[in-house]
Amino acid sequence: MGPLSREAWAQRLGAFRASPSAFMASPEGEDLGRDLLSELRSEKLSEQTKVSLLALSLEYPAQLWPDAATAEAAATSLLDTLVLLPPRPSALRRPLLLAATTALAAGDALGPTSGASRRLLPLLLGLASGRDLGRGFGPASEQRPLQATACECLRELESCKPGLLGGCLGLFRGLLGQEGPVQPLSLLLALALRNTLVIQARARAGLQGLLVAGDTPTAGGPWNWALAEEGDAHLQPQAPSWPAAEEEECGLAVLEPNPEEARELRAAVAQLLDSSYLLTPVAQAQLLWLLGWALRGLRGQPPVLFKPQLVRLLGTAQLTLLHALLALKAAFGEALFTAQDEALLLRRLTLAAQHPALPLPTHLFYLHCLLNFPENWPLGPTGEEAAPLLLAPRLCRGLLPSLLHDPMALLARLHLLCLLCAEDEEKEEKGQDWSPRQYLEELLVGLRQRAALDGGPQALATLCFQASYLVVHCLATQPAVLTPLTHGLARLYRTRPALAPHFVDLLDRVGPELGEPLRAVLRQEVVSRPGRDEALRWHLQILAKVADGNAPSATLSFLQAEAAHCTDWGLQQALLQVCRALLRAGVGEGLADLLQALARQLEDPDGRDHARLYYILLAHLAGPKLGVALGPSLAAPALTSSLVAENQGFAAVLMVQEAPAPIRLSVGPRQAAGAVPVLRLRVEVLEPVYSLELRFRVEGQLYAPLGAIHVPCLLPGRPCRPLLLPLQPRHPAPTQLGVRALYTTPAGLTCHAHLPPLPVNFADLFLPFPQAPDGDKQGFFEELWDSCLPKGTESRLWCPLGPQGLEALVSCHLEPFVVVAQPPTSYHVAIRLPPDSRLLLRLEAAQVDGVPVALRTDDWAVLPLAGDYLRGLSAAV
Amino acid sequence: MAQRAVWLISHEPGTPLCGTVRFSRRYPTVEKRAKVFNGTSYVPIPEDGPFLKALLFELRLLDDDKDFVASRDSCSHINKTSVYGLLVGGGELWPVVAFLKNNMIYACVPLVEQTLSPRPPLISISGISQSFELLFGIQDFLYLGQKNDTELNTKLNQLPDLLLQACPFGTLLDANLQNSLDNINFASVTHPQKQPAWKVGTYKGKPQVSISITEKVKSMQYDKQDIADTWQVVGAVTCKCDLEGIMPNVTISLSLPTNGSPLQDILVHPCVTSLDSAILTSSSIDAVDDSAFSGPYKFPFTPPLESFNLCYYTSQVPVPPILGFYQMKEEEIQVKITVNLKLHESVKNNFEFCEARIPFYNRGPITHVECKVSFGQLEVFREKSLLIWIIGQKFPKSMEISLSGTVTFGAKSHEKQPFDEICIGGTAYLKLHFRILDYTLTGCYADQHSVQVFASGKPKISTHRKLISSDYYIWNSKAPAPVTYGSLLL
Repeated sequence: MGPLSREAWAQRLGAFRASPSAFMASPEGEDLGRDLLSELRSEKLSEQTKVSLLALSLEYPAQLWPDAATAEAAATSLLDTLVLLPPRPSALRRPLLLAATTALAAGDALGPTSGASRRLLPLLLGLASGRDLGRGFGPASEQRPLQATACECLRELESCKPGLLGGCLGLFRGLLGQEGPVQPLSLLLALALRNTLVIQARARAGLQGLLVAGDTPTAGGPWNWALAEEGDAHLQPQAPSWPAAEEEECGLAVLEPNPEEARELRAAVAQLLDSSYLLTPVAQAQLLWLLGWALRGLRGQPPVLFKPQLVRLLGTAQLTLLHALLALKAAFGEALFTAQDEALLLRRLTLAAQHPALPLPTHLFYLHCLLNFPENWPLGPTGEEAAPLLLAPRLCRGLLPSLLHDPMALLARLHLLCLLCAEDEEKEEKGQDWSPRQYLEELLVGLRQRAALDGGPQALATLCFQASYLVVHCLATQPAVLTPLTHGLARLYRTRPALAPHFVDLLDRVGPELGEPLRAVLRQEVVSRPGRDEALRWHLQILAKVADGNAPSATLSFLQAEAAHCTDWGLQQALLQVCRALLRAGVGEGLADLLQALARQLEDPDGRDHARLYYILLAHLAGPKLGVALGPSLAAPALTSSLVAENQGFAAVLMVQEAPAPIRLSVGPRQAAGAVPVLRLRVEVLEPVYSLELRFRVEGQLYAPLGAIHVPCLLPGRPCRPLLLPLQPRHPAPTQLGVRALYTTPAGLTCHAHLPPLPVNFADLFLPFPQAPDGDKQGFFEELWDSCLPKGTESRLWCPLGPQGLEALVSCHLEPFVVVAQPPTSYHVAIRLPPDSRLLLRLEAAQVDGVPVALRTDDWAVLPLAGDYLRGLSAAV
Repeated sequence: MAQRAVWLISHEPGTPLCGTVRFSRRYPTVEKRAKVFNGTSYVPIPEDGPFLKALLFELRLLDDDKDFVASRDSCSHINKTSVYGLLVGGGELWPVVAFLKNNMIYACVPLVEQTLSPRPPLISISGISQSFELLFGIQDFLYLGQKNDTELNTKLNQLPDLLLQACPFGTLLDANLQNSLDNINFASVTHPQKQPAWKVGTYKGKPQVSISITEKVKSMQYDKQDIADTWQVVGAVTCKCDLEGIMPNVTISLSLPTNGSPLQDILVHPCVTSLDSAILTSSSIDAVDDSAFSGPYKFPFTPPLESFNLCYYTSQVPVPPILGFYQMKEEEIQVKITVNLKLHESVKNNFEFCEARIPFYNRGPITHVECKVSFGQLEVFREKSLLIWIIGQKFPKSMEISLSGTVTFGAKSHEKQPFDEICIGGTAYLKLHFRILDYTLTGCYADQHSVQVFASGKPKISTHRKLISSDYYIWNSKAPAPVTYGSLLL
């Protein structure tokens, strides 16, 4: 783009300022940074225009030169422009220095590898030292302002890169002692000193003579980046500007300078403080914050150095100075402020918070300071607003609220009044004419009167509710305050039902102390006064909030009476919202009739549908489930459409969700008894599970279908009795059971999960025979033995024995089925296999490593299973 | 302690945006630090458009504040200071220091050198008080001596250059912007050693010192048995010292006559070099007794070049200058009023002006007035529903004057007639406006001979005094009236 005229630039800058992001996104934005730099050297543009270009670069370097490389190039270009200026007075030198500094600091380009940094730093230091830098740097008349500007630039660089100027402390001290400009040098020295102390303390290093004027970087010489590298990691948020009580907390390590260093340090601080009256008040305040912070972590540096300044500071009305004083108070506590000093400071603060000569924002800030006053010996919990101990109620008289105050002042003062009332409660009732509590009550009455004004501004209503909230927040335990407040609010609602949204909001925010009684009186207020149509929508809004299981019949009759007046969609929806609230509260009786009536009678089809839906839900869902179904939607964030949101809620709640199983199921030890085999299932859960239903499915047609098992509630870590699952085999064969679980989560969702299949082993089906009636066991066994043939089969096999021998094997696996036993060598075993098979075993003449088994069964199919079973026994012992 | 950005926004109700950004300035190097310090809680400074919208919404300055909006009107959204959180770009920008004055919104965002979540208390943020000083400084610059919009625009146009001087990198160097302006103009003067930063250049010319004491008296009078009347004097001492030399020392003593009321709650200008502890501790918080320090109040200081407020004080005089009662009774569409005012004999009966304004809020326009005054004249402003009783320069010899009669009102129409949130029903007031020259209620004066000046040449010393009424209310004694806690402690 060619050179632009002044007007064209003005237009371009205007367009940029209107919306920098839009401008930079447009094709015009691409070249702006480059054009700006080149135009600075144009001879056609006036200095004033160039200053406005530089002003832009001071504000938006990140947009003009978005990365470190372009920022570096820009800074270099700006420095070149500066050097090329003719030696006559120019308004450009100062902004050029500022712009180069800004470009480097904001563009992340400042560092040892940056050529521009290596040029800028010595240049600034030279200017700050008042050295003659040659004719290129302007006439003598400009030296003084440039010296101050250079100090400001250095200070900004030090702020962005702590430790950068650690090597220049001695130089700055020397300059301050001579004829340098006091304010820029003082602030620069204080900042560099603070940063150096912090960095050295962290590194557990001393001051290393940094305070004594010595080798300072000279023009062209190498800059010492060591401290800055050290400090770079420390522009971290862990050091709060408000010194906390515990030093560890803020990460400020404690530095112990040696006596020599301590003396130098004291001298430097005293030098700064002694000339501080020459600084503007805001600069004095900065100096105090910096020095306070610097000395805080130092051992053996009593803060008495500050003492001479205190009286002067206490007398002023200047906000920054009093604030800095409070910072010193917080930093040093009793070491700097005796109890009397503390009391005096508190009094000054109290009077400043109400002094008629000061503006409102100042009053409010001082009030905040009072409630967060850094006491020497605080009693209450930290971090909570409280009236300081020394602030006697008598001192607060002038700080109490009245209706004539601005809303913010009223709320701030009201908070103080509440704190006083809370204290008052702790003491005896003193029988005073006007206790703070009475005054509070009167004030709230006044606020409600104003909120009740028909057509009054929203702000008045908001103020009344904010005040009520604040009072409840502070005085929730005082029925003497809450009772009149509750009734007062009810009266307010009666006068101005249009405040319903405020009431709903208040009910949402306050605890049960006010919430419960307020609900009750509001419900009463609404249902006892039917038939006022303009307020109907507000009444319905309130009822939807306050309707619960209490006195539902009055609410229902109100709704029945008002249903006819609900002619438009909005009112019908509001009416249905109340029904919904009643549904959630578990009101059944009467509500079904109302919903049915609404489903017929409402004009709007949407309303009818809703009523029908609610009716169906009421008829089909049990109470708790209904509560969850109608509760706030868990599935999705709030959507704009109530219908969609509501349906999403239903969908989530009424549908069964697929979920990973929080349940573990296993088969426990069996107990062979009874008419059918029964599996004893052990169950463990990872999270609470309600209304658990376990469903089982058998592969193929081996067993009859199995019944489900129901468990009302299972909790993790709480043992549960084994669940019994009776099996009805159609064939005596092992199988696998497919298992599914249906359950309700604590959030009320119904979930469905597939569990790993459960194996049913062959041995799980074993049942003993009923005992022979006459005790002739041998005869009984022989009878069974004989009955197997000819229908069945006989087989012999070798059952290997483990080291424990036959006795152990039998007692472990076959005990319930032994009919005749001659331990340790001979056992006759009879096993019933439902539905109607038998398996008979003769284990006789056991040897060391095994026992020969003769077996008979009346079911051919059983034979291979029995063989596998017997051969597997020894391994299973 | 530094500022991330500063804005001036004119509030223009009725326009589509309800306001215009008149000036804004961002500080990118501070912004960079904010990003590091605030960490994950960092919210960048928005562009002017979104900022304007969010700020006006939060300050309730948009025209559509009729409906309840939870993010602004919720009862738990309580602001007790002029510091706000603004919802912009999905985050909450905090702390935004902002206030409205003369239809101009002053706003800035200070750097917080730590994480913003949880929010640290404001007292712990060094930049907060600096924000206020910067905004107050801009406000003073724009409005001191400013007469019209053209002048305001000129001053607004000067602001970028001034902030380049007073706040080049976001750290405020001088809240007195006029100083910075002079600094630009004085740039060619070589500064001698130890020049205070708050004093640009030196004065050359005839030495003179001018001291003026302005006292404002406020009062709330109820004429009721159980509610005490209250009144208070607030004084401001303004100085202009045209003296040669870099650091001339001046001591001004304020004196009281033997029966004068002690000065309390004294706040001094930062140029005052030392303060007697009796001055520091005399405060209205404590009960006054005869042993209270009653001067002379000595203020040694090194004056700046410009006119400045040397000190402020309050005082509790034994009686209000004018004591009165106001009785108003509603009778259907008309009200019956009786007013009685009595000037205290000790007060100088020589006013620059004195008048009583009797407004009628939340009613229709005045249709008929039938009133009799014992002294002065009555003016009727029908549309404004206002009566002004012009008392003039002197009270009559009896020192007591009265007004009585009836006022009839027409039908109320919401738009035109004045609304007031306090004057509901019978609650009503009259407000006194008066000014007395060369007089203070406390008796406080600066004796020319007690002014000590340590500078070359004998300066001409001039002193001025005046008393002005301010918030001087007399409430209708026949109806409830808003009270302060102090009024209840009889």
